[in-house]
Amino acid sequence: MVLAPATPFGLVVGLAISESEMPAWLGQVGSFAVFAGAAQLTMVTLAGVSAWWAVVLAAMVINLRHVMYSVAVAPAFTRQPAWMRFIAPTVLIDQQFALVSQRLDHDPAAFRTYYLWAGGTLLVGWQFMTLAGIVVGPTIPTDWRLGFAPAVMFCGLVVIGVKDAANAVAAIVGLTVGLVAIDLRDRLGIVVGAVAGVTAGYLADLLIDRRGAGASVSTSAVQS
Amino acid sequence: MRTSEALLIVSVVAVVTYAFRAGGIVLLADRGLPAPVARAMRHVGPAVLAALVASIAAVGPDGSTGVGVAEVAALVATAAVARWRSNLLVGLVAGMITLWVCMALI
Repeated sequence: MVLAPATPFGLVVGLAISESEMPAWLGQVGSFAVFAGAAQLTMVTLAGVSAWWAVVLAAMVINLRHVMYSVAVAPAFTRQPAWMRFIAPTVLIDQQFALVSQRLDHDPAAFRTYYLWAGGTLLVGWQFMTLAGIVVGPTIPTDWRLGFAPAVMFCGLVVIGVKDAANAVAAIVGLTVGLVAIDLRDRLGIVVGAVAGVTAGYLADLLIDRRGAGASVSTSAVQS
Repeated sequence: MRTSEALLIVSVVAVVTYAFRAGGIVLLADRGLPAPVARAMRHVGPAVLAALVASIAAVGPDGSTGVGVAEVAALVATAAVARWRSNLLVGLVAGMITLWVCMALI
């Protein structure tokens, strides 16, 4: 279940590695060392085409959202041992964040077990998927649009994960701004959409609170 | 491309990516987040994942940008089924089948 949505993406990355100017074995090493689908895809696509520093810069821009993930999950690590804090970041990818962000308030031991199980499964599974992509990827028809599967998965996660109106505002604004900014270089639209969505969600939260407080004051005034 | 250059790229991207992911966890876990930041972080999931949906859905297999009817139908089907059943896998299946059916019909 954890791996199902990431499988097509892994195959696509593996296929891109097989077509890259980067040695295939090194692309596979990147699956373990970098472990970030979109950044890997950019890295292997641009390798040999752009300057090395431009490839690194593009991958960094794409992975900027991981800073937000790290800050968002930080409260759950307050009661985690030091070793966990240093190991956990290696698997903090999109799917992992989506899975664990709904369990941040769980018991520390239960959270740790779930985090390591999900992250380990994703990390090991990703190695097999990209390897399979390198080997059999070129035989899969592009008409199947397997590269679209991650969008479907993230869409499902957003819809299931939205808890209130302010969350919904964050998602709608993130989606809309992400679409408007789609032509920005190096998929910078992801970061722009994310920042806009978080800001909108935060403002919506404040607005809803203020209206709630206003309504309480009015009710008290009427009752007295 | 030289192997040493490819190795340099993979190494630097790996180190920087780890630093991005570790920054918040290692530096902020003991300090806690200021209330406004904690409140904003509550929206990171929906906002980032929605922006990722846009980034994947609006870029075609050939790299061209734009959203097609089949893609929109697939996302709507996913959203409706996933919300209705509260099940990600069922939503994923519904979305991909909708995409393939729409692509066959259009």
